[in-house]
Amino acid sequence: MMHDARILVAEDDPVTVRFLQSLLEENGFEVLVAEDGRHAHELATSGSPDLIISDLVMPYRDGFGLIRALRTLEALTRVPIIILSMKDREADIVRGLEEGADDYVVKPFNARELLARVRKQLDRPRS
Amino acid sequence: MQAALIYSILTVLLVFTGLTVAIIIGKAWRESVEVYHRARRREIEPAVLAYAHGEAGSVLPGLGGQVRFRDRNVVEQVLLEFIQRVRGIERDRLGKAFDELGYVDSNLEQLRSARWWFRAEAAEKLGLSGARRAIEQLASALNDDEPEVRIRAATALGRLGGRASVVPLIDALNEPNRWSTIRIADILTGMGTEVVQELVQAWDDLSHTGRLAAIDIFGRIRLLDAVPWLRQRLTDEHADIRARAAHALGAIAEPGSAQTLQKIMNDPEWPVRAMAAKALGRIRDRGSIPILTGSLRDPEWWVRANAAESLRLMGPDGIAALIGMLDDDDNYARHQAVLMLGEAGEIDAWAEQLAVHDETALDRIRRVIRSGQIGRLEELAEMHPDAVVRTRIRAMLPEERS
Repeated sequence: MMHDARILVAEDDPVTVRFLQSLLEENGFEVLVAEDGRHAHELATSGSPDLIISDLVMPYRDGFGLIRALRTLEALTRVPIIILSMKDREADIVRGLEEGADDYVVKPFNARELLARVRKQLDRPRS
Repeated sequence: MQAALIYSILTVLLVFTGLTVAIIIGKAWRESVEVYHRARRREIEPAVLAYAHGEAGSVLPGLGGQVRFRDRNVVEQVLLEFIQRVRGIERDRLGKAFDELGYVDSNLEQLRSARWWFRAEAAEKLGLSGARRAIEQLASALNDDEPEVRIRAATALGRLGGRASVVPLIDALNEPNRWSTIRIADILTGMGTEVVQELVQAWDDLSHTGRLAAIDIFGRIRLLDAVPWLRQRLTDEHADIRARAAHALGAIAEPGSAQTLQKIMNDPEWPVRAMAAKALGRIRDRGSIPILTGSLRDPEWWVRANAAESLRLMGPDGIAALIGMLDDDDNYARHQAVLMLGEAGEIDAWAEQLAVHDETALDRIRRVIRSGQIGRLEELAEMHPDAVVRTRIRAMLPEERS
């Protein structure tokens, strides 16, 4: 299925960003990139993303803080957020989901699995 | 004389000028190489990524049919960077491209270089790329004279996984003089459950140090299937093997191990008793409370401390057992009970109840005072925020002391 959805990638590792950008664009998504938590917040509020993929460890504002802040904004309460992080401890995964993320993917990640999760989140009705 | 001076000054100036020019040219060269690499990277990356995401049988068409000599380092770097960030099909395809473009062969060649840093780098790249056909050569590199090459080869084998990688790593556990056993144990632990069966099979051939490391690995992997085998190690002739096995069983925390661990609470060697006491706490086996309570009288401090800590972990039943020991004849047992009740916050909670004149709390505080361990109560008598509590504790302390 083709999507013309806009995805915000909040990630400070340029290699991962380029990989994600290539993967998502090749699959028909428009990609916005933020290299730190502060920029991600700005782009999330101004860029109207349909989905956000966020790292947890980023400069200026970490992923937990970013998600918490975004979930207080009326316009972003229903935008799906997928955490993409190297942190694989149960406590981090639980915390990420409790802060308001919809899904959690551990790095190094399986690109096709991530893509399937992105599509599933976008296809889910947001009431 | 004057001419000689002028000649000397000119020579020095010439040397400095030459050096400055050389530095500038070197820097300019490095920067131009970097600019070139960045530019090439911008062209190469999309082709590599398109191959990774796609289904093409070869990466070469995307790269224009060949990799030019001057692009070889850039392509290799791009492949290795992406390989480290993904799993699954993309990773397999990137690894296949690494091999197809000849990087596995060139790194296998480098693994035989006379310069150790080339060998070390080659070992690392082969591991990152997932080149399984390099396993044999990497296993040979475990015998390299240079420690850095050995450890990078070991790390590479750990990444590659599989029986062929595990066996040489287990052998390395036997050579503590050539290896940091801890690092090899870390690598084997990171490989997960696939090492368990190999370690069991290699047990008879392992050195004593290797056996200790193997048991630690079992405890860290926490595989339930390893429990029966670990229980058998509790009867090993060496006390440190028995102690480590008890520790590993505690880490796995399988409830069925409690009975076996209780039996070795009578072991003649105190490290075994200490580790068994700790393990019983981690298993949270309430049936072990009487044995742990008795161990508060053990002649060894470490056993008493672990038994007390384990009782605390048992919750209300364990705390009740610790309270029961406040009147014990054994001074060490009383000491340990008070210490642990203090750590559990029980003494503070009883002190709190003094404000409402709770009889149970009053009785327990009197028993603490009789035990002779009144350090925490003296602190509370000075620092408790409630003046009534401070006054009541102070009133009790001198009375009980006299």
